[in-house]
Amino acid sequence: MSAIFPKWTNRLPILIITGFFMIGTAVVAGVWYYFTPKYTVVGYQPLQPVAFSHATHVDQLGMDCRYCHDGVERSWFSNIPSSSTCMNCHNQVLPNDDRLALVRESAQSGRPIPWVQIHKLPDFAYFNHAVHVNRGISCVECHGPVHKMEEVYHATPLSMAFCLDCHRDPAAKLRPLDKITDLDWRAESPEQQRAFGLKALHDWKVESLENCGACHR
Amino acid sequence: MSKMKTIPPSCPEPEFGRRYWRSLDQLAETPEFGEWVEREFPAGASEWTDPVSRRNFVKIMSASFLLAGLGFAGSGCRRPEERIMPFGRQPEHYTHGVVEYYATAMPTRSGAIPLVVTSNEGRPTKVEGNATHPDSNGGTDRYAQASILNLYDPDRAQRFTMGGNNASRAAALDFLTDISRRAQGNGGQGLCFLIERSSSPSRYRLQRLITEQFPQARWFVHEPVDLDVHRRAASAAFGAPLKPVFRYDAAKVILSLDCDFIGAEEDAHNNIRRFTQGRRLDQPKDTMNRLYAVESLMSLTGSNAEHRLRVAPSAVVQVAAALASQIGQAAGVPGLQNLGLPAGVDPKWISECAKDLQAHRGESLVVAGQRQPLAVHLLAHAINAALGNLGRTVVLHQAADLREGGIVDLARALEAGEVETLVILNGNPVYTAPADLDWARTQRRAKSVVRLGYYEDETFPVCDWHLPAAHYLESWGDAQTSDGTLVPVQPLIAPLFGGVTELEVLARIAGANATSPYETVRETFAKVAGGGDVEAAWRKFLHDGFLANTAAQPVNAQLDAAAISKALAGIQASAPGKERLDVVFHRDYSLDDGRYGNNGWLQELPDPITKITWDNVVLISRRTAGELGVQNSDVVEIKIGERAVRGPIWVQPGMADFTLGLALGYGRETGGRVAHKVGFNAYAVRTANTQNIATGAALRRVGGNYTIATTQDHWSMQGRPIIREANLEQYREHPDFARLTNMHEPPGGMRSLYPNPLDAVAPQALHQWGMSIDLNACVGCSACVLACQSENNIPIVGKDQVRRGREMHWLRIDRYYTGEPAQRNRLDVYKDDSKQQFEEWIDEPQMVTQPMLCQHCELAPCESVCPVNATVHDHEGLNLMVYNRCVGTRYCSNNCPYKVRRFNYFDYNKRPLDKLYLGPLAKRPIEELNLVEMIKNPDVTVRMRGVMEKCTFCIQRIEQAKISRKVKARDSGDVTVPDGTFTTACAQACPAGAIVFGNIANPDSRVAKLKQNQRDYAVLEFLLTKPRLTYLAKVRNPNPAMPDYREWPLSLREYERTMGNPFEAHGNSHDAGHAPQKGAH
Repeated sequence: MSAIFPKWTNRLPILIITGFFMIGTAVVAGVWYYFTPKYTVVGYQPLQPVAFSHATHVDQLGMDCRYCHDGVERSWFSNIPSSSTCMNCHNQVLPNDDRLALVRESAQSGRPIPWVQIHKLPDFAYFNHAVHVNRGISCVECHGPVHKMEEVYHATPLSMAFCLDCHRDPAAKLRPLDKITDLDWRAESPEQQRAFGLKALHDWKVESLENCGACHR
Repeated sequence: MSKMKTIPPSCPEPEFGRRYWRSLDQLAETPEFGEWVEREFPAGASEWTDPVSRRNFVKIMSASFLLAGLGFAGSGCRRPEERIMPFGRQPEHYTHGVVEYYATAMPTRSGAIPLVVTSNEGRPTKVEGNATHPDSNGGTDRYAQASILNLYDPDRAQRFTMGGNNASRAAALDFLTDISRRAQGNGGQGLCFLIERSSSPSRYRLQRLITEQFPQARWFVHEPVDLDVHRRAASAAFGAPLKPVFRYDAAKVILSLDCDFIGAEEDAHNNIRRFTQGRRLDQPKDTMNRLYAVESLMSLTGSNAEHRLRVAPSAVVQVAAALASQIGQAAGVPGLQNLGLPAGVDPKWISECAKDLQAHRGESLVVAGQRQPLAVHLLAHAINAALGNLGRTVVLHQAADLREGGIVDLARALEAGEVETLVILNGNPVYTAPADLDWARTQRRAKSVVRLGYYEDETFPVCDWHLPAAHYLESWGDAQTSDGTLVPVQPLIAPLFGGVTELEVLARIAGANATSPYETVRETFAKVAGGGDVEAAWRKFLHDGFLANTAAQPVNAQLDAAAISKALAGIQASAPGKERLDVVFHRDYSLDDGRYGNNGWLQELPDPITKITWDNVVLISRRTAGELGVQNSDVVEIKIGERAVRGPIWVQPGMADFTLGLALGYGRETGGRVAHKVGFNAYAVRTANTQNIATGAALRRVGGNYTIATTQDHWSMQGRPIIREANLEQYREHPDFARLTNMHEPPGGMRSLYPNPLDAVAPQALHQWGMSIDLNACVGCSACVLACQSENNIPIVGKDQVRRGREMHWLRIDRYYTGEPAQRNRLDVYKDDSKQQFEEWIDEPQMVTQPMLCQHCELAPCESVCPVNATVHDHEGLNLMVYNRCVGTRYCSNNCPYKVRRFNYFDYNKRPLDKLYLGPLAKRPIEELNLVEMIKNPDVTVRMRGVMEKCTFCIQRIEQAKISRKVKARDSGDVTVPDGTFTTACAQACPAGAIVFGNIANPDSRVAKLKQNQRDYAVLEFLLTKPRLTYLAKVRNPNPAMPDYREWPLSLREYERTMGNPFEAHGNSHDAGHAPQKGAH
């Protein structure tokens, strides 16, 4: 009778429990790491239909963000410029360059250039660009060093935790309004940043809301 | 970074216009796919010849595609690639994401409602009144709020047809030019137009142009609900083409002779504004107006009246004559003879009412209803003249002298074979024409029929040419509001389905040089605006939404007494009885005359009185129902002459005896998928001679029961002070009556055991949001319900779900009847309508209405029971609902004492309403979904199945206002939103201005001041929920001399019976805690 179950089977329950535990831990850890925006979103860098370089335009030529993204101070949405905006300069500069063929064609025909969307929030989160850039939060805080990017990539997770980190301590990020689009600007020292942040927080009555209704409606 | 780099496929050509397929389902139904299926399974090929089973197979295949797709998602692409399509060429003055507003107007039968319409990325999404218009406060009516849904109606006529077959737009328009050419040859012989009423000066101009060119052309007007009787009556009474404008705001005493000016009359929203202006009470010494109503149906007007006399519709003329003879004799107006009073009417009611009117010479007003015959209108004018009201409360304006025929004249012309070409502009005559004209057959006697129609409906099959009509939000046009001001109708979107407008059709037939409606309107405008810079004036006109200083000037006129006595000579009084009932055909509070039949919002809007959705019913009084042996939801047959119709019985409190009320607009055969077979068709028994009132009807039970979906099946407040009211004298004696009628307090006083976290954070917040609703101004019109539905993406759920109590309206209007307690057993109050319909007290009830929405309690019972913190408070006092946290336990709804939370039992947006129970197996057709998507407010989340929702105080508007303020403030601290910059959708739509929303932390805000009013009270205050929404108690102003005078409002009597006399108890020991709680909020 005793030959039916060999002796090692006595260890089976403990092996099973240990196995479940290890697999469970691995799954949780895996989900924790791989299923969060930190992994899934950061670094996303699709190829765009036109090889536009922010580094050339902003860093080398010193253009302001708002020349192209002109709706950012008025709208919840920071617009991608129309092709006609590009042609304001490019009918003089590199007017026959091959890389700009699509832009010229688009400005001519009115058909849009299908840019690939990189930064995208879920539909139930209502982020507003205007209120951030008008109240001391720079583009760089969420979009990273765009002015150094040859091709734009997703620099930050843009997860809810990412938003809340800043909303819980806005003093660390607030800057003078004339430095919003100066992406290289840094306060001279962390202490000065904090001092300025706290002053702005008080003088400007920055709310930096943390309640659900601020973003979810 | 490069580790993540994904290379997308090479850039495709940008797509334009409509995509070819939006789902695997659609792809799978392409013929190529079908062929592939047949090749793949040759053995079963014969099976696929049956289209039904093939479609089923394809459905299953597509489901497995979907699963395969999920598998791919795991391994291949990490997230769907989305494209941003900026403009190729940037249009001027456009910023993506910034909402635009355009001034326009919704044309109505006799006027227009000036509007400001919200446009989101080119889609009109919300209709609001234009508050800058000289005769508007920004309020609208139900129809205007819901009209936007008609724009996105998938059942709209979408094609040009000839003989039912598709035709090209060019061919159809060429045919119009042909008509014009032929008419030029014969002077318009045989050319007839069947049109609806309109106030458009451009249309009038084109009509004149056609008549000048083609003198033989004939015009006929058909309006199933004829509101033109007011013009005809004034013209007859004063012997000149005039139309009356009633100044309810200037009247202290108003008598309505079956005139539902709050509900079913034209321009009701303006009437409500003016009427409630006379009822505002800031302090006890203020005065308020008094309304007497003589009516047969229980209408919104009657329910708001101080004194209501219910008489059969055919007997209203007797009451009017009795009043006229009493008032006329005193004033020396000859020829007003008394016809005697109908049985059961107390002569004292008439004499005291007359005395009250006489005591307010020049500031009283008598109005006659659209349903009543001309004689009643003439009597009303005679009374007004005798009371010196002309020019004060009755203002007369010049009116166009119209010489059009009616539909009966057209029928005669058709029968005589005089009609070559019939042009029908809007309207649906086959459905709405008098039943005795047999219109579907009669219309065929015309050689050719061209019709401009919004739907391919009952009239469609009997037309040769059918042109799709454009919605007013797609059209250029103009109109005049009731005060005569010129307003533009400007499009917010190009016609979705290539529709054309009435003006274009007429301009083509007139052979005008400019046929585009824009040019037509511009030309008319140039003539009105006169000299000067027309372009600048035109731009201002479009910007403002009206042309200033174009209001009509009042004209003086003398009453033509001879005309009145002549009109009254032939009047015979008739008395209805059990065997010969009176029938009233009335404009429906939801569907109008049927034109909104396919509008789901209106179908699901509970009738303001009966609270019935998705149906019309046979309204009947308790006594009549008892004598005829019928009760609620019995199916009966009503026979008028040889014609009969069947419908369910509804015992309506306050109905006149031996009278039936039948709402028009239901029972459609081909009205669209929403309207299809909802209710019964009252037009079937409505003949040319009995357009509004029929007499001599018989009713019999045919057996069977009909299910009626009503949203409020209990009629009583059960003695609780939900709605608090007092008579004016009581209010003056006890200005704090609203607080005196608080319920008994819980032991231990009004204190919470726990500290409220809001108390700690509130002082730091910039705003504290609150709302105040004045029940003295609320008349129950329900415009707010639809405004909320439109603003907040609230779905409709269908009759079956409403019956289960699953309607989704965030804001509802509660309606309660109160009766004489002496007539009632103490326990009666707990009965619902299935029992109460037999009780005597409902014969003469008082009715009260109350908008009920989330009260945003500071100590919200819903929050403490949510296991996942999906409903929480913010620092500004809002009770938030976080959809993405909600798991659907519904504990919150269970714990809400106000029952204002709504649960998504199904994916109402994604599923067809008749297939909800199939879940994901049922899909709405894609063309329907595409249109449904277009109407949604992008600032509000569209909720899915399994999620709780409720009123948010329009948080999207609050956030938008705060953000706009902060954007403006930049690096200053000026971030508090000033009072009056924005308001909620319901408050915006309210024509009475009863709802006020704002920041109660600012003591100077309107809402904060209203909350200091002594009439302010909270519903169920003893639960200590501390609602942010409080009400101002209602005050009635009855006349002590009247026989039906009640010293106390009946609801207060009911309260007294359960709680004791609130005025005596004041100061007694058990009431010590009742000291007015100032600053309870």
